[in-house]
Amino acid sequence: MTPSIEYYCPCLAASPHPPPPHLPSSTYSFHPLHNLFFCEECDAVRCNRCVMVEVSGYYCPNCLFEVPSASVRAEKNRCARNCFHCPNCRNTLTVVPSDPPDDGDARMSPIVSSTLGEPPFFLYCNHCRWDSAEVGITFEKPTGLAAQLQKFEDSAPESLEFERLKEHFEPFLRASSSSSSALHSAAAHHVHTNPITAAASSALARDIPGVGKYNPLSRSRAGRDKHAHKNDIPDYKSRVEVASAGINAGGGEADVDFMCRLETMSEVAALEQRWVSSWVASLHSSDLKPLRIPLQSKKSKRCPSCRHILIKPEQKAQSVRYKIKLVAANYLPAISVSLPHAQAAVEMMKRSTALNKSAAATTVDEHGASAGALLAGKTYSFHLAFTNPLYDPIQVRLKKAQMMQAPGADGDKTRRPPFQVNLPSSPFPVAAFAEAWEYEDDEEVMFGLEEDEGDLDGMGRQQRDGRSKTRTLGVVEKRANVTVVGGEVILTKEARGRVKFNMLVSYTYRSDDPDGAEENVTGTPSRSHASSKAPELKNFSFYTVVDLGLIVPREESRIDPDI
Amino acid sequence: MDVPIYYTRAEYIETDTGNKVSRRATIAGPQNIILGGKTIISSGAIIRGDLRRTGPGHAVVISLGRYCLIGEGCVMRPPYKTYRGNFNYYPMKIGDHVHIGANTIVEAATIGNHVEIGKNCVIGKFTIIKDCAKIADNTMIPPNTVIPALSLFAGSPGRFVEDLPESTQEMVEAQTKQYYTRFQPLPSER
Repeated sequence: MTPSIEYYCPCLAASPHPPPPHLPSSTYSFHPLHNLFFCEECDAVRCNRCVMVEVSGYYCPNCLFEVPSASVRAEKNRCARNCFHCPNCRNTLTVVPSDPPDDGDARMSPIVSSTLGEPPFFLYCNHCRWDSAEVGITFEKPTGLAAQLQKFEDSAPESLEFERLKEHFEPFLRASSSSSSALHSAAAHHVHTNPITAAASSALARDIPGVGKYNPLSRSRAGRDKHAHKNDIPDYKSRVEVASAGINAGGGEADVDFMCRLETMSEVAALEQRWVSSWVASLHSSDLKPLRIPLQSKKSKRCPSCRHILIKPEQKAQSVRYKIKLVAANYLPAISVSLPHAQAAVEMMKRSTALNKSAAATTVDEHGASAGALLAGKTYSFHLAFTNPLYDPIQVRLKKAQMMQAPGADGDKTRRPPFQVNLPSSPFPVAAFAEAWEYEDDEEVMFGLEEDEGDLDGMGRQQRDGRSKTRTLGVVEKRANVTVVGGEVILTKEARGRVKFNMLVSYTYRSDDPDGAEENVTGTPSRSHASSKAPELKNFSFYTVVDLGLIVPREESRIDPDI
Repeated sequence: MDVPIYYTRAEYIETDTGNKVSRRATIAGPQNIILGGKTIISSGAIIRGDLRRTGPGHAVVISLGRYCLIGEGCVMRPPYKTYRGNFNYYPMKIGDHVHIGANTIVEAATIGNHVEIGKNCVIGKFTIIKDCAKIADNTMIPPNTVIPALSLFAGSPGRFVEDLPESTQEMVEAQTKQYYTRFQPLPSER
């Protein structure tokens, strides 16, 4: 339970103020800094929940082949080469040749390269030892397996039926999309049936054997309208009667019989194993077929309000570089939280373990944990380290968000908040980020020295804390582009739960473009009238939630050392 | 802010390029192992550089990039197979900024840059791990698995869990560099 800090994205709420941090739902509005994006046009933070996602390329996660988007649909979103999932454990299957006629040790290492070997070839799972020969799938040659399996796949009665259904509904779909404005009820419905929601709703309405059927369309009004509309098109006659055809549609007498004679659990295919297959799968785990691996995609992301691109990956599937990458970490200062008293405790522990490795680690651990805990009724200082990613120095001002008082206000007004947080009120500077190479060489030396100073300091302060109640608010340390400031938290005696509070961080930075007139409208210029020659200064604010950890009630902490 | 991780000076050998190798690690066939620099090999790790390809000449068995960490009790063993009737070991190549957690067994063929592997994992033979991938603690990766870039794998057998954020590369790079600077001898011995 190390202290943490997360940044607020206002996309879920109507107001710019974040929800009180003690609400469980508030966690959905806060994100780690590295998960956030920053839109330069809107001058706003964006998160994965609010950005618009577009697919910029498809690839197979196993063979890493980049599939042209034209053939993705024809190949039914799955790899059309040699990649298969084990139906049993979802591992990737390997193609192996049959055993050479009389060679004992081939069994020991079936992971031989398949370029040489005897047909028939089959698929083998390295993890659970499932092989496709069990279900009667073997191959004449070890290449183009998907194409070899395609024949079976396409000739399956379900697949044929599905193709016919698609053909049947095609004229209707074409007609409705062209004349959607004429049909009022249908038009209203069609707004929602973009391909994604349609796919999602069909996935939800899927008929799972043994699970009650959920049909959202029959309940809603729009659904009824659609049913009425369906009558316009001619009735569909299925090619075969499903019930009589005896294809392994679930839930028949045969299944009941099978379940009655069941001897081991593994004879029944788990729901998870059957769920991924496209058609109704039989209950028998011995009937499971290898699955072509679903494709994955690279995604580009856009700002939801101005549609500017925030993330645009390089075309190559396995490249981790981006043509456009506007992440919040390059714009907002990175903040890290620490509790000096806990760190000092951990330090002591580390030193002692490093010195005498034989010392029982468990006792030290317990000691460390209790020493680093937040005890109710005490006052602790905490450190916030601000790292400036910008090439210009910034001025940071901290403010505790007002929402903190809300819990006490709605419940009983007499109850005091469980803790009080004091933050440095005056703005403090954070130096500009310099390229790492400028000080990389002497960094280590500096670092080492400072670190030593740091922990001596920490130790010293802790001892002082014990005696007198003097505390440091304000700048504690400055190095390179990092400024560490101290704050303190006062816990009441009856405090419980986590020490979690919202903090408003505003910072002033120098604008890059000389005429930032349009952006000035959104950001409040703090010192724009100082002098006409001075560089343009702009202000940006964002909310964060700081979580210092769990409060240990007094009684427990007293008992702990005795044990 | 950054708490140093102390080690006793006597335990680690530091090379000119900043590699720190524990004397308690078992390094077999060191002439076949390349360390990129600023790489840490923790105590109890076993690196099998002796399992080389048969045939004459010099052969690199295991190559590690810069800012790597081989955790305590890790086993790094080159993968092997019988190809056209010949049993052979194949080299293992590991990129820069790769952290491997404690007690993990690695038999991968290739590990890209900026890869994080958790504790107590088994990375099967001929596994290919692409850049910026992450393997959660206690994951079993079966042989011949391919782990695409920027994906998190977990479970037994290891499966795709989620895409990692776009800034993973910067984060891992900062983290591995920070780890190296934090990893320092006890000041009392200086």
